[in-house]
Amino acid sequence: MRYIFKFPDIGEGLEEGTIVEWHVEKGQSVKMGDPLVTMETDKVVTAIPSPKNGVIAAKYGKVGEIIHVGSALVEIDIESSEEMENTQPVEEEGAGVVGTLEVAGNDLILSASKEGVAPVDNQRKREKALATPVARAMAKELNIDINSVVGTGAGGRVTKEDIQKFFSGSSTTQAPAIQKEESRIDNRERIEVVQMSQIRKTIAKNMIMSKHNAAHMTVFEEAEISELIKIRERYKKSFADEGIKLTYLAFVVKAVAKALKKHRSLNSQMDMEAGSIIYKNYYNIGIAIDAPKGLIVPVIRDADTLSIKEIASEITEISQKAREGKTSLDDMKDGTFTITSYGSIGGLFAVPVINYPQAAILGIGRVFEKPIVQNSNITIGNIMPLSLSVDHRIADGGETARFINCVMGYLNDPVSLILD
Amino acid sequence: MFTEYSVLENKLFQIIDDNGKVVNPSYMPSLSDSEVLKVYKQMLFARTADLQTVSYQRQGRIFTYPPNYGQEAISAAVGLRIRENDWLVPAFREMGAMLSKGVTLKELFMYFMGYEDGSAFKGANRVLPISVPIASQLVHASGIGYAINQTKEDSIVYAFVGDGGTSEGDFHEAINFAGVWKVPVIFIIQNNQYGISTPTRMQTASESLAIKAVAYGVKGIKVDGNDLFAMIKAIDESIEVCKKGEGPVLIEAITYRKGAHTTSDDPTKYRTKEEEMKWDKKDPMKRLMAYLQERGLWSTNEEEAILPQYKEEVDRQFIEAENYGPYPNEDVFKYMYSQMPDDLKDQLNEYERFLKWKESKLSNKK
Repeated sequence: MRYIFKFPDIGEGLEEGTIVEWHVEKGQSVKMGDPLVTMETDKVVTAIPSPKNGVIAAKYGKVGEIIHVGSALVEIDIESSEEMENTQPVEEEGAGVVGTLEVAGNDLILSASKEGVAPVDNQRKREKALATPVARAMAKELNIDINSVVGTGAGGRVTKEDIQKFFSGSSTTQAPAIQKEESRIDNRERIEVVQMSQIRKTIAKNMIMSKHNAAHMTVFEEAEISELIKIRERYKKSFADEGIKLTYLAFVVKAVAKALKKHRSLNSQMDMEAGSIIYKNYYNIGIAIDAPKGLIVPVIRDADTLSIKEIASEITEISQKAREGKTSLDDMKDGTFTITSYGSIGGLFAVPVINYPQAAILGIGRVFEKPIVQNSNITIGNIMPLSLSVDHRIADGGETARFINCVMGYLNDPVSLILD
Repeated sequence: MFTEYSVLENKLFQIIDDNGKVVNPSYMPSLSDSEVLKVYKQMLFARTADLQTVSYQRQGRIFTYPPNYGQEAISAAVGLRIRENDWLVPAFREMGAMLSKGVTLKELFMYFMGYEDGSAFKGANRVLPISVPIASQLVHASGIGYAINQTKEDSIVYAFVGDGGTSEGDFHEAINFAGVWKVPVIFIIQNNQYGISTPTRMQTASESLAIKAVAYGVKGIKVDGNDLFAMIKAIDESIEVCKKGEGPVLIEAITYRKGAHTTSDDPTKYRTKEEEMKWDKKDPMKRLMAYLQERGLWSTNEEEAILPQYKEEVDRQFIEAENYGPYPNEDVFKYMYSQMPDDLKDQLNEYERFLKWKESKLSNKK
């Protein structure tokens, strides 16, 4: 007997979820309660357990794909036929325990007033539109006057879809440049339209939030790291024997954690509403990683209490997790400062975007050889380019310069990392 | 106890520490080993059922569910002491106490599937339905307490509320009334640190929730709610107060909601992993397990042997609830009055017309 398991509404009015990870393969036996797939929704990231004992007959959707509530997720071959009775997923129409009760986008729900039983004049334009909270938020975000949108939901409610339709219909006024560009492309086959992944949406939102809220200012420096290179060469092999990759980054994390202790405004955040600055007395350093699905920033917790070896070991571990797509939301929480080492791929200087609401981000460029003047002699130096972006609302120029001097000092004379 | 652990000094009443060691022997309630083990097993069953219920919700088989995970000791202590003729007035996170009173898991599952019959509690005497409107149940509790004083029955009311509920007007009205009329109600605040995402420090400017007892002129105490023995002792003393006609009592039970507020909530958005790890050390079952192991009363092997039976029993009751049959339309309107008044009859008719209309719309779509 084949049982089709549809993606249930697990969060009071969800419309869709994104597949984060599959836990089963086709042909695999599962028991009731075994995790099938991890889904990310507007409300939570959670494993969806199997409702049946049986064998997986089909899986729908790849990691990163969006599944709508009510669409098939897996098919399970189950043993008995009578088990099919009463086992269809139930339809939720707004049950709740101290949560939202409003249901979005379902035109079959009785509206609060008497008119619900009579056919509703959906086309009527109201002075103040009835709308679901999701739709209202979306309209605000897209800068649409919700009162001018025609609602097609229950009792003429404006739904998310209505906003979407209205937005795409009126995008000539919203974004003329893009529209023009697209209309010039006659041949639709020459472009490819791809749905954004959840992670891409999150990146986009965070980048815009940072650029809108923080006053970015960037300073560039060159750290001379010949000593550091020697030390790394000396220990690289023995670390590798223990499965730890000793990178420059481990030293930079240590140097940054130490420097932050002396310059706390770079380890803070601003709360404009409360009119206060929150100084953090813990040092959780985020590491920007170029993961297969996009940029993620796992965090090394309490970096100030860790040795360089422990930091190197954690970096090895988080990179591994990121490559395998196993980084959890917990791994990325509570960062206080971020480091991005684009130089390991390429580039000397960049203007990194602050991981808002943090106060600063340090970029590390490609290490290269360069002639430098030392005691009136020209010698060959090893340069690590540094780009430090700060939120100028919090950190003044002087403090920023003192911080980067401090970091450079540690990198130039790595022994001081231990002695200081 | 109420004097020694004065709420004015913000003292916390505790009997065992985080490692299950008895640190306050003079207050240890007298319980036989087998009684302690029995309570532990009830907590274990409740926790198993709770975790499985979250799983059923994730399978799309019940609606929203508020987990009990981490708060089992409070319900277990009440469950141990509550009698047939006592009243249980729950909020919505007291599964263990409800089971002890004779409510079945099947009924609780039916409640979360939307059945009115899930609140009928056929085998349980004097249990009010689960109360979703925050703190409204406390007013009912005070009213029941007042009735007990009139009838002079030997009965006590156990009323539950969360930390968030203490900010509601009903909380004030209920306790104020209870204090004036000296009604036999034990109010238990399950302070699990969050009202959805609002931390307790944002809930009140008071030093504690227990200290509010002073303003109402009633006895109050702040108890380690993850310490089964402290909870039992606090309840025992509160029973004595009520029996002497000096009730009510306000107990603030300090605990931690290890799960989400409900299945629609993501606690990682408002609390840190460090905080969760800190509270893990105070887990009520972990502490009681240490106590039992120390005395050779229970082992992880025995626990592993019994868990599959518990899980099977939970599944069995769940499937029974799932096969309960269709939901009768009139149930929505039926239970407020012994005879359905005309306006409700009109609404029922209207609802049935609507369902027909909905049906026709659906078949048109096909």
